Order: sequence, then C-alpha cells, then structure tokens
Amino acid sequence: MVTNRIGGVPEFRRWPLMAKKKYSFELKSSLSELDQLCQNLETFGKKFGLSQKLIFEINLALDELFTNIISYGFKDDNEHAIKVTLTPRNDEVCLCIEDDGTPFNPIEVEAPDVSSSVEQCKIGGLGIHIMKKLMDEICYERCGDKNVLNLKKKIAKDES
Amino acid sequence: MEIIEEKQSGINIFKLNGRLDSNTSQGFEQTLFQAISDGSKNLVVDFKDLDYISSAGLRVILKATKAIKREDGRIMLCAMQDYVKEVFEIAGFDTFLPIVATMDDALKSF
Repeated sequence: MVTNRIGGVPEFRRWPLMAKKKYSFELKSSLSELDQLCQNLETFGKKFGLSQKLIFEINLALDELFTNIISYGFKDDNEHAIKVTLTPRNDEVCLCIEDDGTPFNPIEVEAPDVSSSVEQCKIGGLGIHIMKKLMDEICYERCGDKNVLNLKKKIAKDES
Repeated sequence: MEIIEEKQSGINIFKLNGRLDSNTSQGFEQTLFQAISDGSKNLVVDFKDLDYISSAGLRVILKATKAIKREDGRIMLCAMQDYVKEVFEIAGFDTFLPIVATMDDALKSF
C-alpha cells in the first residue's frame, strides 16, 4: 500500500500539466484587431473542444470590452497591448483582460435604459450591459497602471 | 463583412455576410443611410449569412430604425441565426424591433 502511495506521485505531476491549459495572446490597440480576437478564440475553442455557442458568447464579451478600451481607454496615439488569457476548467472558462489604459471599472457602469419603444431607447453602455449578461462572474482590479478584469463563464452541461 | 444590395418591388434588401462589429458597422451605417437619403422607405435586412453581431451593429440598426420612422418608412429584420437573435434578446431590442423568421415574411409585411 505504501508503495502505491509513492506510486501516486504522478497525481502531483498533473498540476503543472493543468497550468499548460492556459491560452494567452496580445492584441494591439486598434479596432482591426477584432479579427485577431476572433481567430484566436476559434483556435482556442477547437483546441479545447468548446462549443460554437460558448465561443460566440466569449467572443462577444471580449469584443465589447476590447472595443470599449480602444474607444475610451487611451489618451495618447501610441500603440498599446491588450493581453487576453483564457483558462478552461471543468465547468467554466476563466478570462482575463489586462490593459494599461485609464482606470475603468465596468462593474460600475449602469445598465442602459432599453425602453419598449424605438424612440425612447437610449443605448449608452449597451456593450458593457451585454458583456455582464453573458458572464457569470466579474472581478475588477487596478494594479499599478493596469486594469485587470477577471471574468468567469460557466459551461452549460449540454455544451463542450 | 459583405453587404449585397437588391431591390425588389420598391423594397431595398440588404443581405449581410460575415461579422457585424465595431470594425464593420460604420460601412453598414453608410450603406443604410445612403439608401434612406436616396428616398428608400421600405428596407429589409437579411441576417441569414451573418455569423456575428456586437452592440456596434445593434446601434446601427436602432439608428436606422429611428431615421426611417421619421420618414414614415419601415425596416424589417429577417432570417437571424440563433446566436445573433440572442444578442438582440439580451439587449432587449427584440421587444420593439420587427424581427421575422424568413425573407418571405419580411416581404409580405409591406
């Protein structure tokens, strides 16, 4: 039995392997990088066997955040890098977006007034509203000169 | 994203192919508003081959709907894929925008 326990060492070796499931990429601060975002997510989805619906929803949430960062985050014309890290787990995907733009906490953005008529509908903050609806957990931190946003998206049982 | 424009018995049809996001929404907005300023009053947007839409795309649709209403015209949205329709639903836009299942339904409504 004792020997078996020693033989159990490979159990521990699984942890560093788990860490390899991380998938990271960087986007430049230009809206044309949305194509890169899409391509990276398709590769990520295929690599980990995730459903098209899940990838669509992750793509949309990251698109809204990325577009927001590009539209309002930078006060200079320099090129910036936006880092995206995806970590698939058993029943969820963890997403992290980092940028060095002005401090912005999307959690504080109020839901838009989507009225029941075309005339009254005002859509400021719509993208962030959609992102929040798609994600199950959102956590914002300002770390030094960086915005760090950690998101979690649950994988539905009939997916993956 | 590709936009194919067609005209059928006084109705302007816009067939979208690809992805409607903040990168492509401006071109779509220009195309729609060109048609409106040229006097088109009945518009159909065909979503059959559209794989993706973000809030930037929803904004253009909303803006065009407001503009066409001011001209006493109408816009119909048809043949959305499930994922795309879900975005309209999350935004709450499905409650006041005319979304129908098929191109036939859209054309018959005029």
